[in-house]
Amino acid sequence: MSDPAIQLTDVRKEFRLSHSGSLKTALLWWRKKRIERFEVLKGLTLEIPKGQCVALVGRNGAGKSTLLSLLSKIYRPTGGTIQIQGKIAPLLELGAGFHPDLSGLENILFNGVILGLTREQVKARMDSIVEFSELKHHIDAPVRTYSSGMLARLGFAIAVHVDAEILIVDEVLAVGDFAFEEKCYRRIEEFKQHGGTILFVSHQTESIMRVADRCVWLKNGQVELDGDPAVVIRQYQQDAEANDTL
Amino acid sequence: MRTFRGILRLASNRYTPTRMRQDLAELWRYRELLITLVERELRIRYKNSVLGFLWSLLNPLLTVSVMWFVFKFYMSNETPNFSAYILAAYLPYMFFQQSVLDSSQSVLQSLPIVKKVYFPREILPLAAVCSSFIHFLLALGVFFVFLIVIYLLDPRISPFSINMLLLPIPLVLSFMLAAGMGLFISALNTYFEDVKYIVQVVMQLLLFICPVMYFSEQVLNASSKHGSWMYFAYHANPLAMLCTAFRKILVAPQDPVVGGVRLPWIPLDWGLLGLCAVICFLVFIGGYRFFNRVKWGFVERP
Repeated sequence: MSDPAIQLTDVRKEFRLSHSGSLKTALLWWRKKRIERFEVLKGLTLEIPKGQCVALVGRNGAGKSTLLSLLSKIYRPTGGTIQIQGKIAPLLELGAGFHPDLSGLENILFNGVILGLTREQVKARMDSIVEFSELKHHIDAPVRTYSSGMLARLGFAIAVHVDAEILIVDEVLAVGDFAFEEKCYRRIEEFKQHGGTILFVSHQTESIMRVADRCVWLKNGQVELDGDPAVVIRQYQQDAEANDTL
Repeated sequence: MRTFRGILRLASNRYTPTRMRQDLAELWRYRELLITLVERELRIRYKNSVLGFLWSLLNPLLTVSVMWFVFKFYMSNETPNFSAYILAAYLPYMFFQQSVLDSSQSVLQSLPIVKKVYFPREILPLAAVCSSFIHFLLALGVFFVFLIVIYLLDPRISPFSINMLLLPIPLVLSFMLAAGMGLFISALNTYFEDVKYIVQVVMQLLLFICPVMYFSEQVLNASSKHGSWMYFAYHANPLAMLCTAFRKILVAPQDPVVGGVRLPWIPLDWGLLGLCAVICFLVFIGGYRFFNRVKWGFVERP
């Protein structure tokens, strides 16, 4: 088999809390060490082969978003190694990466270039992106006027047009309407058929069962269970219910 | 100093610093983004094409006319083409000021995007510096028009000189200085938001210790009374040296006449310019390395 698309080995991520953002406080308090550490990922090892569609589940604070941010190269890990084969298109959070004062069109250009296209390539695909997002009438309006559904549509439309080999999706598909959701799933299926790798976070059981080949359950910064979606989700839900009844 | 090391430790020590060559290669890969950002900033600045550009020239022209008026009539500076000398030094000063102030805010302003998408973060301050630089070049174009106008108004003294061919030298140096400082200040300002207030004050003070409203010949004249180290120390400030260099290169030599005293013209001092070049280069490399060492901590900033 070829190299895996994503290979995580003993990845750790620690954040430091309590440090104020002004020079005055830094000068006043430099004698006192008030750094608190907070470890989100505690030695995560995970391998995702090319062409697989993996769903991430876990409670809030389990480290799902941190993991996706690490893969998108927004953070660097405190320990361990991350190896990625292929181009990544991250879709983290709604409208993130959009500049609120620029129009939809300008944001497509801006985001396409950030995701590694040249300006010519973005311009060539502009019509196709606008058509996919179904925002023809609003594309010249500033993005701050967009609804959450519109933002999700624009973000998804750009992400599937940048020739990525790995798609990273953080709970953004839940806001679109039914028709758009269908369209996204069709596109994801297409993407899978072309050998693309997908890693997504979702809290919707149906969508996981529908597209995922594999499900990874994160608990307290570590992999709790990894395997067939049906099995993992059943365990995860049982665990959640058990915690609720406490 | 310990606080400073503390900042570095806080921001970077957990990560092995990347090599400068890798950083530069990564920057090159993202050149399209840099161009897009510069375009965007210029478009915002010159919203209505020609009118927008003229509007942005209002500040230097107004400032220079006030300086010219005050220094010519109240401080009796009778040097021919005095206004051209002021403008020749004020434009590079303005470029430096604008680059540093714009880039100091650049990362903070884009933090929501920085938190969600990866791209080399140094592109943000560099885009601010590049767009200021393009603006500077355009303003220099207008400066030549200004020279022609004052020549036509008073054809007895030509302000043009062959030295103008040397213009690329101070241009490159001032770009390196502004980019290095911009990177340094923007990284610092991302951690400590009050840095920008300090920078604003320092920028205002810089205007007084650079030869904009007066001549470096006057500095030498004062130095001869107080010791020659003063002239050297004055030009150890790279921005002051650059202002002097721009003046000597852009406008034909004239002996400054201040208060009825004629001071002999000093030609461009290549030794001092060499020192300035070394400082600019070090500032550029230092700023770039500092930025790259701390940039991974920006998103984890509280």
